[in-house]
Amino acid sequence: MEGRAGMDILETDVLIIGGGFAGCWAALRAADLKATVTLVDKAYVSRSGASTMSGGITTCPLDSDDLDIWAEEFVVRGGYMCDQRWTYQLLERQRERIKDYIRWGVPISRNADGSIRRFASRGMVNVRGMQYQPKVAMRELRRQITARGARILDRLFVTELLTADGEWPTRTGIAGAVGFDVYTGRFVVIKAKRTIVSTGMIAMKGTHRVDNDCGDGAAMAFRAGGRLVDMEFTFGGTFNVLMKKFDFPSYNVAVAHGARLINARGERFMQQYDPQRLERSELSHVVAAFAKEIIDGRGPVYVDLRHVDDSYWSDIAKLHRGGSILLTDHVPDPKSNPLPIEPTWGLWASGRSGLQIDLGARTNLCGLLAAGSVAKNDATGTHASAGSPTAFCKVSGWHAGETAATESRQSQHPVISRDVLMMLQEQALAPLHRTPTRKTADDLHDDLARLEASVVNGMILNADKLTRMLDTTEAVLDAGRASRASDLHDLVKLHEARNVATCSGVVYRCALDRTESREQFFREDFPLADPTWFCWHGATLAADGKVVFDRQGFPTEGIRFAPQLPDAGGLGPIGAIVRGEHEALVHA
Amino acid sequence: MSEPADGKLAINYETCTGCGLCVLACPVDVIRMDAATAKPAIAYPRDCQVCYLCEDDCPTHSISLSHDISNSRRYSTYDEFGLDITWPK
Repeated sequence: MEGRAGMDILETDVLIIGGGFAGCWAALRAADLKATVTLVDKAYVSRSGASTMSGGITTCPLDSDDLDIWAEEFVVRGGYMCDQRWTYQLLERQRERIKDYIRWGVPISRNADGSIRRFASRGMVNVRGMQYQPKVAMRELRRQITARGARILDRLFVTELLTADGEWPTRTGIAGAVGFDVYTGRFVVIKAKRTIVSTGMIAMKGTHRVDNDCGDGAAMAFRAGGRLVDMEFTFGGTFNVLMKKFDFPSYNVAVAHGARLINARGERFMQQYDPQRLERSELSHVVAAFAKEIIDGRGPVYVDLRHVDDSYWSDIAKLHRGGSILLTDHVPDPKSNPLPIEPTWGLWASGRSGLQIDLGARTNLCGLLAAGSVAKNDATGTHASAGSPTAFCKVSGWHAGETAATESRQSQHPVISRDVLMMLQEQALAPLHRTPTRKTADDLHDDLARLEASVVNGMILNADKLTRMLDTTEAVLDAGRASRASDLHDLVKLHEARNVATCSGVVYRCALDRTESREQFFREDFPLADPTWFCWHGATLAADGKVVFDRQGFPTEGIRFAPQLPDAGGLGPIGAIVRGEHEALVHA
Repeated sequence: MSEPADGKLAINYETCTGCGLCVLACPVDVIRMDAATAKPAIAYPRDCQVCYLCEDDCPTHSISLSHDISNSRRYSTYDEFGLDITWPK
């Protein structure tokens, strides 16, 4: 049978799971520091995950910029819910990563005089972003990593982190990971002195068009005892569906070039909700405004590209991946016709939630680091502006690689018992040998995706709804324990369903625990912001299988910007918009 | 001859050189190399996420891809509210 004939056991100083921007920058930095590096990905590094598929906007601080102004905007717009040391680290280090792109010749959108063309990032007034070609950047990163002698294992699906004591959750730490070759089924054990998870976001399969971001790293870290924070802030969304069926390429890019949203009356409705930033407001505000327009009978909503600047059309032709629907005859000419657009809303966080990391990218577990969107971006708080997620990938990846390489010099590989490895092999491959069951992997993903069916329904949460959602994730986990995988491709999807269900279960539990509304999180049974929730909200798996919650305050010593917070909380922005009480927001 | 797969993704085997770049490009393992023909085959059409990476990376432009998404689990708010999406003239 596939994969039952033994196992490969590899050793490395630094293991990196996930080869997007964060994982590649980690590999690059660790290899520069002379560590042996193994980078694994379930797909092919440089064509995997959200990095390759991203719109190509990144925060772009240059040497001439006053970073205090940029940092203040991140801190204030993020509700002060961040670690301001991370904010400065992000901005200072991102300057260097931009220079790497320039040195490597990654195409960047430029002005006529050759300078980098910068624009206000969505949601921001002072912070500037730039547009570059992410596919070329990913290909160049692979080339740079290979040139430094790092080992890349493509099409290796990691099923579990290896713990030093053979316990999940562990009491000692992380010692590598195990998985299987997606083509051959060969079981692979990778013993590592330091392990970095960089597997990207948590999302349902089939709803966001980045189908391999299933929260694999967050789920396996959680099972091993990793502390996830602010998981209820994973709820989010963007405008990505055109004419009910086509994929709309990057809302952030479109609005950066002047795209507008109009309702069925032709009104630019965001003037009602955020007259300063309009469509460039926080996405939670724009999506809530969309819901309000629909509820009040002013839908559908259209994206109006008749006013975009010429560089939009040249950028999507030159810088975007091919096949943009806007350049085909499948849709009416967008230069003269507004096109119906709608958002999706559900699990889609890039940095608002995830494994908490310190300034060196260490998690709470000894030996485990995290980088990129699987980690909580503590530089930006509740508001992750367009461009800051990819900046965080580069910078957190860089720091994770540096910390892992440095710490691996003083570390030894722990001894892992053969029995533990055999047990992990059995768990990874067992679904191949089961008899067919009622629920296939596709059925499980269908059940999960239905949890975020309606935008209007999905933005407005309450205890009953969240409890039902949690029941579904539990049912999926139960069914998955008996499901058969028809082949190795199906086995990947089955493990992914388990990981999505694990992560979404934590999200719904955290949402039930949070008895307030704030930014993109709205509970109609607790509609007001509660100042006692001005904190990090942690969730950890205990040995008895229960989830333990904690609250930790933000760093206060030596911070540049002291929080300016009301004594009593008001109605959160989603509540204010859908209840028609958004005047307070306009004048806030 | 073009070989349609689920009507969404097709490879023109007259121009395909079997270089395998499309196999590498697919993030969700839809395309596999067929050992018998030494050409790529569309092994799991249902899982295509229509990302265009394979089409973009094909050096001989032998891949064609429909914009209709085959594995979509999306849900339209316009259907939920019974809204006609035609722009009013």
